[in-house]
Amino acid sequence: MKKRISDSIRRVDAFDKAGGITKYISDMDFEDLQYGRLVRALRSHARIKSIKSPKLPDGYYFITKDDIPTGGKNEIQQISNDWPVFVKDEVLFYGETVGMLVGPDRQKILDLEDAISIEYEELEEAFSIDEGLALKSGKIYGEDNCYGDYHLNKGDVKKGFAEAVTVFEEEINTGYQEHVYMEPQGLVGYYENGKYVIIASSQCPFYIKKAISPVLNTDQDNIVIKQATTGGAFGGKEHFPDIIAAPLAVAVDVIRKPIQVVFDRKEDLSFTAKRHPSRGIFRTGLDAKGNIVAMDVDVTINAGAYMSCSNIVLQRAIFSINSVYDIANVHVHGRSVATNAFPSDAFRGFGAPQGLFLAEMHMSHIARNLGISPVEYKRRYFMKKGDTTITNGIMHDEVKLEEMLEKVYAAGSIEEKLAEYTPGSGRGIGISFYQHGAGFTGNGEQEIIKAKLKMLKHGDGNVEILLSNVEMGQGLQTTFPKIAAQVLEIPIEMISCDNPDTSKVPNSGPTVASRSLMVVGKLVERASRELKERWDEDEEVEVLVNYIHPEGCEWDQATLQGDAYPTYGWGVCAIEVEVDPATAEVETKGIWTAHDVGVAIDEMIVHGQVNGGVIQALGYGSLEKLDYKDGKFQQNTLADYIIPTSMDFPMMSSQLIENPYENGPFGAKGLGELVFDGGASAFADAVEYAIGKKVYKIPVTPEYIMEVKNRD
Amino acid sequence: MVKTFHPRTLEEALKIRKDEKAIPLAGGTDLMVRFRSWAGTQPDFPWPVMFINHLSEIRYIDIQPKEIRIGAGATLSEVEQCSEVPKVLRTAVSQMAAPALRNLGTVAGNICNASPAGDTISVLYALNARVELTSLHGARQISIMEFISGPGRKDLGDDEIMTAVMIPIESFTHTLYRKVGTRKANALSKLSFCGLAKIKAGRIDDIRLSFGAVGPTVVRSVETEKKLIGLSIEKLKELYSEIRPDYVAMVQPIDDQRSTAVYRKQVSLNLLDQYIESLTMES
Amino acid sequence: MTEIAFVLNNKKISVEAEGATRLLDILREDLGLTAVKEGCGEGECGACSVLKDGLLVNSCMVPIGTVAGCSIETLEGLRNSDEGRCIIDAFADSGAVQCGFCTPGMVMASIALLRVNAHPTIDEIKVGLSGNLCRCTGYDMIIKGVQLASERGEGIW
Repeated sequence: MKKRISDSIRRVDAFDKAGGITKYISDMDFEDLQYGRLVRALRSHARIKSIKSPKLPDGYYFITKDDIPTGGKNEIQQISNDWPVFVKDEVLFYGETVGMLVGPDRQKILDLEDAISIEYEELEEAFSIDEGLALKSGKIYGEDNCYGDYHLNKGDVKKGFAEAVTVFEEEINTGYQEHVYMEPQGLVGYYENGKYVIIASSQCPFYIKKAISPVLNTDQDNIVIKQATTGGAFGGKEHFPDIIAAPLAVAVDVIRKPIQVVFDRKEDLSFTAKRHPSRGIFRTGLDAKGNIVAMDVDVTINAGAYMSCSNIVLQRAIFSINSVYDIANVHVHGRSVATNAFPSDAFRGFGAPQGLFLAEMHMSHIARNLGISPVEYKRRYFMKKGDTTITNGIMHDEVKLEEMLEKVYAAGSIEEKLAEYTPGSGRGIGISFYQHGAGFTGNGEQEIIKAKLKMLKHGDGNVEILLSNVEMGQGLQTTFPKIAAQVLEIPIEMISCDNPDTSKVPNSGPTVASRSLMVVGKLVERASRELKERWDEDEEVEVLVNYIHPEGCEWDQATLQGDAYPTYGWGVCAIEVEVDPATAEVETKGIWTAHDVGVAIDEMIVHGQVNGGVIQALGYGSLEKLDYKDGKFQQNTLADYIIPTSMDFPMMSSQLIENPYENGPFGAKGLGELVFDGGASAFADAVEYAIGKKVYKIPVTPEYIMEVKNRD
Repeated sequence: MVKTFHPRTLEEALKIRKDEKAIPLAGGTDLMVRFRSWAGTQPDFPWPVMFINHLSEIRYIDIQPKEIRIGAGATLSEVEQCSEVPKVLRTAVSQMAAPALRNLGTVAGNICNASPAGDTISVLYALNARVELTSLHGARQISIMEFISGPGRKDLGDDEIMTAVMIPIESFTHTLYRKVGTRKANALSKLSFCGLAKIKAGRIDDIRLSFGAVGPTVVRSVETEKKLIGLSIEKLKELYSEIRPDYVAMVQPIDDQRSTAVYRKQVSLNLLDQYIESLTMES
Repeated sequence: MTEIAFVLNNKKISVEAEGATRLLDILREDLGLTAVKEGCGEGECGACSVLKDGLLVNSCMVPIGTVAGCSIETLEGLRNSDEGRCIIDAFADSGAVQCGFCTPGMVMASIALLRVNAHPTIDEIKVGLSGNLCRCTGYDMIIKGVQLASERGEGIW
């Protein structure tokens, strides 16, 4: 009998990684390797008056904007091109790249760095969302410092408010979060056979190629990006490697030797992009029975000094602002605000964790005000198949939240515990519901990405999958071949799926947005089916497949209306806590989850994602405080930026619900971000229950709990 | 280039200390981090460094009739695993960092850092620990409270090496050590509290109360403790509210990247209250 | 520069180095032992874990000058041993490996634990791994990997 696709197999990369055989970027050997170090402007907003550099010994270089090749642009081609390779004249955030020191001896580079002096004319700074909106430091972007300014309307919010007997208003905030991929950022660049080659720890090799092509003023064909095994990314290696690759490419153009740029941890914590902080201001109208008749939400995110992907993060945040609930009349105003803070960027969930946290807490607060249990209140509004989404699209999914909730309740004996613990008793249970639109927002796949994938059967019967999605820990180098093996009915050992090299693989798109397994995995399935049919055609068979957009999934990017996502993953998370009365420290006593990921391609890999995602989210919700003061991240060592250890949380219960999605391989949906989306709000909800008072922000630290408890 | 020394004997180490003003490095868990530089470059030590972890003269834990001597080279793991060491100190050590670090770090190093957040220090204050400082001229002993005078400031001559920590052997009826860290393991202290008391026949024979990370040094007041010693439990219940303000005044923490002054102060006092209450409950 | 002699993976070697140089840099750069990773350089993450005289240490905190006369074991020296194979297989079978960057350090911490405690409880495993940060797995499957190695490794530990 054929094995179920979900039955777990040993990951193909596990043995070499556990044995320390796998080489990461900083483990690779290069002849005559040079070291590069970014020289940064240590002001948040200033005009550079002069840069004085010492006389450089032979073999040492200080690469600056003057070294950009003729015709090359001092701008990095991302979604926007506002982020320069090197500061143009005005520094817009603390740590912006001024130049790169390169040479063979690292101590000498440090000495040279000390000898560089930059003279600044200080300018007014704006760090918070409000300071950005008030143009405190002038116009950083456009006329109003809003990279994006969107409105969503569902139903008739005016009419809804007219029916309201009470209006409940509140503000809820989320903080920064640092990725803490265990392998810091790192790239190596060199020049070979007329081509610029960059080896990168990254999520999106083709993004880097596109980003640096205008800088070098060369055709993208002259740039090769080779993916290095990536030691974790979580969104932090989606766009940020572009920011390092651009000055590195300029240095390679000048020096023509292999140059390594590997951040150390302190540099990585201090000078890489973080998750966007967010603020939600809710005005919700309730009728006499406490039903929601209208909701008006103002969502702002702190995008920092350059646009990067902030507008798309904002879109996901506002599309998530009703969580899993069907609210009849809604208006959402969303803005991504330019400030002199370090540019915020992609992080697992991409705006959804912020939107969902705001939404879940607001719903819990309404329920608590009404004296109703948050779970009972939230269930009234569960989205169902055929309901209208916040972008006036149609929910195509069968929504199985009730079934999932039942499973979580049973696993955690939640009912009994809720009956036993009274609010304010020091013990509490919090439950969150969440969804994650799988794949790119809106029309990204069909209009921008247009994924292509190639499969080759070689003469010896071995099969090669050629695509651009990377293994960064999530298991793609196992799950892609597993899909192919299941279709082709050959052993997985006969199928390879190596780290991509842009000169060899077609562009199947970036490794982002929980799209890889679902969208690209579907291409693997389709290509495998075609290959199976044509298996005996020749010794060598090549199959090329293109993305096909699911039918009945319409989207208008100009108005942000329609089906924002083809399908959704769904989750329920319950957290039990005990709050120490003397110290306000929180002991997490239990974690129970249920997820609908369509069909698991490999159960062990899925459970690994669930476990990692939930713990990372609990870090976000409880421990990971990241203050931004005078333009600097205050917690810039791993002693001060606190991520969970093996001892911080109990082992968890993780259950899966099968709910196949026809456009995913074997029914699979995206899940890498979904599993991050509910931990923080479940934790905060549990603490609220335990202390009998409301919390309005994350992380819910003991300091914050103490403050809340002291509140009248 | 940092000058480093690898003395073969304690005497040689003392000579190097005197002549070269080299800083003794035992475990290196603080110094290697504090002066770390870029990968592939050497730590940026501002002075010569002398390795002393291998010196057999200081690598011991010696149980004597009246005191326990912990040699400056004894690692935190060795202290943690030595059953004769007071439980309260072993508890504090077991909550420091993680096993790998405890295999390198030393109690003497923790003291010489003289950080008010040093995890062993609040306990050693309460235990009336003394330190032995040795130079070519001989050894002297002073109490840990005299040794540390401020953050990073200590009474260590530039020809001296701390060679041992001495802990009097005493018994207590009520001991509490509580570290409030940034997380459950591998954490630095936001604050710590240590309470030791000997209660006999409903009377306080001895009591020591110390607070870590809430001032420039660990906070302990022998004066205030004197007000408590000799009280019956009944009296303690009555008078505690008059004595507590002493601690309200003494506990003066700051805001930093790890916590807030408000939190540190309130939690320190909560733990004090909790400890005092435990004395009254069990008697 | 001085010559520092020590035992590395059961072989006597000596290196020419400045005494303050981190053991981590000597292992990775001079000796090419790249199973030892640098995750933080400040003793917080455990990716650079090695055994020094049989005890788990962070090689980023160890000046090479303190290694003279000691025995150092890295994953390169252990991965083909019974201990190494047992734990690596158990990790692979338990889903303990994701991005893999923390994994060599986790393997070293697990070996250090199982050598002194062949049948650890979950809480003991958690303590044993508490100096090794992982951002991918949430730890459950690593803990299960250590349990599996404990079960399978009867006689090895």
